[in-house]
Amino acid sequence: MESEVNGILVAAHELEAPFNLLRQLAFSLDYADDKEDIKRVQSKMIDVSDRAIRQIQDLTKIGRLEDGLFEMEPVAVRAVCDDVVEELRYLFRFNHRDLKIEYRNRSRLVNANRDLLYSIIYNFCLNAVHYSDQEARSELVISDKNDKVRIDIRDYGPSLPIDVWRSLKKGWIEKPTSIAMRPGSSGLGLYIASKFSQYMNADVGAVRHRDGTSFFVELSPSRQASLF
Amino acid sequence: MIYIIDNDMMMAECIAGAVCSCFDEDKSEEIKFFQNAIEAMQEIAEADVSKIEMIFLDIMLDGPDGFTFLNELQSYSDTARIPVVIVTALKIKADLSDYGVVGILDKSTMQPDDIRALVSQYVLSVNSVSANKKINSKEQK
Repeated sequence: MESEVNGILVAAHELEAPFNLLRQLAFSLDYADDKEDIKRVQSKMIDVSDRAIRQIQDLTKIGRLEDGLFEMEPVAVRAVCDDVVEELRYLFRFNHRDLKIEYRNRSRLVNANRDLLYSIIYNFCLNAVHYSDQEARSELVISDKNDKVRIDIRDYGPSLPIDVWRSLKKGWIEKPTSIAMRPGSSGLGLYIASKFSQYMNADVGAVRHRDGTSFFVELSPSRQASLF
Repeated sequence: MIYIIDNDMMMAECIAGAVCSCFDEDKSEEIKFFQNAIEAMQEIAEADVSKIEMIFLDIMLDGPDGFTFLNELQSYSDTARIPVVIVTALKIKADLSDYGVVGILDKSTMQPDDIRALVSQYVLSVNSVSANKKINSKEQK
């Protein structure tokens, strides 16, 4: 019970951040110089709201996982990654970050639920925006690994703490926990990613580098692909 | 020069907007943004410290946190005099005035007027005093 409450508190703390920001952005409309300025602030507000809504939706999805409402189907993995990158392009540019994309996979379809896979990649990319050093380039790579399709998102920032890495190595994170070296994060994104990957029988993990972290998810290729 | 250290660039720009609104002239060129304490310390080491008028500091930063940064500032007599305003989502009740902290703003409740009040008190008033001193010394000559 206590750990559950802690988890909720940590998640609440992370969800508070976008609302604090929205509040300040609303104030900043007061000293916008012209229409262009107002438009810029509005697009920031929309961007922040979209991310907050997505996070809340992801949390509600976790609650619905047990109902088995998320159908597994062949999903075009490159298209999902393209969509995530498109959605986060503004945020990367705003934070002076760059994202290099490399698709090396032969198996184009994976066995997954599109929404859940989207959220996993989205959360990993969001992590890369926050924890890469300024002007650093994060990397999104899709490759074939043994009989799986692997999506890696590599950032160049503080390395992932060993305890979180160990939890991820086990394949899941039990609850969102405060990540001291990565303070803007409660680990909520990782928690969401690990829950969703568990549901899809996918493996999620992280590789610690001296200058950052790679998060990855490994999925089974869709057998349907072999019919083509 | 006013430094803003916050890993959230959007929040940093909101703070900068409130700071700029205190001045008649365009102050945006004199505001510098840093996303972590290391970048800020490196800049301070190379900068003319006497020109740094105020620092807005977030606590939850990547790498060394805001408290480490405060400690570092206090280690040198020239940087110890820079007024620091903490802008954080943490609920800080402690008195940090010994660390050069002149104000603590809670991100969830702060308003641009809170920022403007601190800038008026610690930047504008200091500038007007030093401007008056210059005028007086010219008149005496």
